[in-house]
Amino acid sequence: MAEITIGKEDFLKFREFFYRKTGIQFDDAKRYFVDRRLAERIEATDSRSFRNYFMLLRFEASGEELQTLTNLMTVNETYFFREEYQFKCLVNSILPEITTQKKDSRPIRIWSMPSSSGEEPYSIAMYLLEYWPGIEKWDVEIISSDIDTKILGQARRGLYSPRSVQHLPKNLLAKYFKAAGDGFQVSEELREAVEFTRVNLMNQADVRAYREFDVIFCRNLLIYFDDLSRRQAADTFYDALHPGGFLCLGHSESMSRISSLYKARKFADSVVYQKPKEAR
Amino acid sequence: MKRVLIVDDAATVRMYYRLILEEAGYLVVEAVNGVEAMEKSLRESFDLYIVDINMPKQDGYGFLRELRGRDELRQAPALMVSTEAADHDRKRAYAAGANLYLVKPVKPQELLVNCRLLLGEVRP
Amino acid sequence: MPIVKKAPAASRDQDERELQRDCASLVLQLADGDPTTRRWAAKDLVGCPDVSAALIGRLRQERDPSVREIILTALTQRADAQAVAALVECLRSEDVSLRNEAIEAMKTLPDEVAPIMGGLLGDADPDVRIFAVNVLESLRHELVEQWLKEVIERDPHVNVCATAVDLLGEVGTSYSREALEKLKERFPDEPYIRFAADIALKRICSN
Repeated sequence: MAEITIGKEDFLKFREFFYRKTGIQFDDAKRYFVDRRLAERIEATDSRSFRNYFMLLRFEASGEELQTLTNLMTVNETYFFREEYQFKCLVNSILPEITTQKKDSRPIRIWSMPSSSGEEPYSIAMYLLEYWPGIEKWDVEIISSDIDTKILGQARRGLYSPRSVQHLPKNLLAKYFKAAGDGFQVSEELREAVEFTRVNLMNQADVRAYREFDVIFCRNLLIYFDDLSRRQAADTFYDALHPGGFLCLGHSESMSRISSLYKARKFADSVVYQKPKEAR
Repeated sequence: MKRVLIVDDAATVRMYYRLILEEAGYLVVEAVNGVEAMEKSLRESFDLYIVDINMPKQDGYGFLRELRGRDELRQAPALMVSTEAADHDRKRAYAAGANLYLVKPVKPQELLVNCRLLLGEVRP
Repeated sequence: MPIVKKAPAASRDQDERELQRDCASLVLQLADGDPTTRRWAAKDLVGCPDVSAALIGRLRQERDPSVREIILTALTQRADAQAVAALVECLRSEDVSLRNEAIEAMKTLPDEVAPIMGGLLGDADPDVRIFAVNVLESLRHELVEQWLKEVIERDPHVNVCATAVDLLGEVGTSYSREALEKLKERFPDEPYIRFAADIALKRICSN
């Protein structure tokens, strides 16, 4: 098999296309990283040249190859306290704003999706218990959903490798986990705190009951959706949120490729999106 | 170094402006629509905005109205550049918060002079 | 324990929406005073027959962007002749956001848009021709390059050509080379056209 080469103009063309589609911008320093992944997919799809492969990306009716490539271009790893700055933003800015404006004493509701194997919702629960003084006064409901029932089972069991807890402060590891096999299991207290449910975000019947949330975490998921599905997901979250509720996306995701319904809000730790307060 | 945000969905247009402005010593950042422009404006500050009208998700008018509605961002000047040449387009642009309005396609010198004007580097 | 477990359903009573959602009453709800009701009506109307006209009628007067978004999604999903005709009509609107929303919707409908593309690219109004070229930006259709090439060969309006040549930087092949060279001759006093055509040509030569 001949060596696949990606010329400078090819790289520039691809970079523009990928930026338009995803909002992710590669600078020149990333050239090698990008070229290698392109070469990998050119070979896997039997495209034989960048030109053919680019045509596939641009014109394929299903858009599947673009999804596969996006997956490859973004690091999609899940571990405890991943993108911690957003949890900081949650306790330092988002929740204080919500509780100041809340007119009733009903619980604060948080939806984390996709749950994957549970690292995100458990991180949220720990963060609230450890770093949010408001937890003394307010009840919180954490609901975490995924389309995959197998992974939901895994999330409920709460068993993790040392690698996935490596970013946790030692005292929290000791407090909320116990040793299990080669790794760790989250405490019963945390497992009791999160409700795991199966949801297909694209199925109206599935998502209909999901309402009256104050905060939604949906990180590193929509970037893999096609344009229409992304927009539908954003609409679903819009209906699921209270007016003034917040939506947190992943660090490589931009609302600019999804929807214009939300208002960008800048807080000390992060830029997040808010359903307009005047919305109904 | 003055910082300019180019807001246009056409990649070649952004490249064209970038080349002209970088040559003249400005630092350039790009956005493909009003939503991305707002995201970037909240993360970093700009001395000047160059804004197209027709863009997906949020058009140029919508972006300028939002920009002018935010206390921390309302000061920076904005140059609106569009394919639309009618009088009412110009009026709408000014009403939304544009400081100057140019009709595409623009010549390099025309772009540069108007940017310098808005940045207070030359007098009208 | 401050973190309490609860089923996902909101505490508010499940769904009045489940009751009596026949198509006729959904159409009526499109005009409801509450935008949430209008949103849900538009969502649920996707499954009803012959409602494109009702959706379009609502779209024309709807001010709430969140309702408009749902209606456009619904029209995109329906994609019948009536829906497509309505989207085309939106291209002539003075309402900039409506126009751009229609362009975005049309980008996702290659099979439905293809038969009318020739007509749009030959429209008397240069703005409509520009918007038609905008639709081609992401259209997944094999004729995209051919349409763009014809635009830069024939269209007398510099901005229609400028919009097309921008896209040829992405989808252009040797098929468009000659047309790009000729375009520069057609607009010798426009530096932007030269710049954009040269970029497209450079990319064509490199592969």
